[in-house]
Amino acid sequence: MKFRRTTRRLLMLLATSALLLGIPAAATAFAGSATSGTGWIRLAHLSPNTPAVDVYLYSFDDSKAMIVLHHVAYGTVSPYESVRAGDYSVAMRATGASPTSQPVLSTSVTIAARHAYTVAGMGPESGLRLQVLDDDLTTPSGQALVRVIQASLKQQVVKVAVGSTVLSSSLKFAAVSPYQAVSPGAATVTLTAGGTKATSSVTCAAGTVHTFVVLDSASGLEVVNLEDASGSGKPPLGGVSTGFGGTAGHGPGSPVPWLLAIGAGSLLALTGGLRLRRSRQLAIRI
Amino acid sequence: MPTRRPVAALAVAAGLVVIAGATTGLLLTRHSTPAMRPVAVGVGAVPAPTGPIVGAFPSPTAPIVAVSQRAVPKPVAAPVSLTIPLIGVQTNLLTLGLASDGTLQVPPPNMVSVAGWFTGSPRPGAIGSSIIVGHIDGGGGNVKGVFFRLRQLSAGDKIYVKRSDGTLVEFRVTAVQQYAKDHFPTQAVYGAVPDPELRLITCDGTFDLATGHYLSNIVVYATEVS
Repeated sequence: MKFRRTTRRLLMLLATSALLLGIPAAATAFAGSATSGTGWIRLAHLSPNTPAVDVYLYSFDDSKAMIVLHHVAYGTVSPYESVRAGDYSVAMRATGASPTSQPVLSTSVTIAARHAYTVAGMGPESGLRLQVLDDDLTTPSGQALVRVIQASLKQQVVKVAVGSTVLSSSLKFAAVSPYQAVSPGAATVTLTAGGTKATSSVTCAAGTVHTFVVLDSASGLEVVNLEDASGSGKPPLGGVSTGFGGTAGHGPGSPVPWLLAIGAGSLLALTGGLRLRRSRQLAIRI
Repeated sequence: MPTRRPVAALAVAAGLVVIAGATTGLLLTRHSTPAMRPVAVGVGAVPAPTGPIVGAFPSPTAPIVAVSQRAVPKPVAAPVSLTIPLIGVQTNLLTLGLASDGTLQVPPPNMVSVAGWFTGSPRPGAIGSSIIVGHIDGGGGNVKGVFFRLRQLSAGDKIYVKRSDGTLVEFRVTAVQQYAKDHFPTQAVYGAVPDPELRLITCDGTFDLATGHYLSNIVVYATEVS
């Protein structure tokens, strides 16, 4: 009984030390949360005849605002903020209104990991709405990705072209064009509406995503070129060869020498054992 | 023959010892992966560089953010050096492109102590995922590369990049991931992102003697701190 208890204790001790040694090693190897847990959001005011507003971003489970943008006027687009994936709500209040007052407008948005969203106040003041746009982050290799948000009230329908590529032949006020891949480089964005025309030079590098925002300006139409996202225009193929093996533990090598040694040991022990048995039998006979 | 008995007993003992030794040897060599690489965080640490830190974006934890209308941000200067205080990395940066086979160029074998920036990726501090690579080791004699201790980084650790105009960008590690090279996540590493990020890449895992390459990569993900 005592022997068994000792054995059990010994086993416990062994198991415990294995845990103590093993767990920190595994934990330190890759601490750090995966990047997969965050997404991005940005906020915009794209309603021409709506006065400036305060915009609030709330995490779904927190009544305290995570981000507050004060005095956001028409044409403003915030930078992207990196936030944990999950449910959020966006509220708009008149500039200077109490943070606890009833918002003029609010909407909910679910942010998925590694996805980006634009929440924009769009439309005329009389029909103002908060629109959630899904922003693309995937560029075709060697190309740029572009889209247009039409936020001009003066010109309700606009034709938008970049270089000779027509992005939309008749984009209505408060509408958003689909994304389109274009050749990288410098180009001219041309807006045509009724008798008016406006141009702007842009550069879209390979691997970038752009949003062109059509705005009413004092002199007519203007386009704001937003660089939404950027990556490697032509991504390298496969993994990266960043090591020559000088510090590598040598590979397992061949198991044959070890197996041979085990065989030889077995032979030795077996021969010795047989001799031992025979000599004991001899001793008994004598 | 009683004199034979000690010899026979000795043979049994010796045989058993050989079996035990060889079995242990066999098992140990089956599990000799570089995952057992010794770690010593903080040893040989270098101080954080000094200089103006240029933050393009407000911290997401700050509750109040003021913004203005934004067009394409001003281009940032090219990176010239990299400092990672915790693991003692302080290196100038080479410029790297694509090799003829489409893979990422790496610093030459005689420059394993220097890291390089992939010129096909955004500049550190500009919007997007900027790529910096460095070797884990040299070809022989236990020569350690500039990123030998990269795997010791974890979330929250700081990384600094100095640019040619003297400005300094500070990044904070968000994740450290290991990938088999034949399952390298091209989109996650090189794909477009909407904020200024940095990825540091080196090798890890088992070294394949047949091909002369490691089988895995370590990727450190970091985002700019303002």
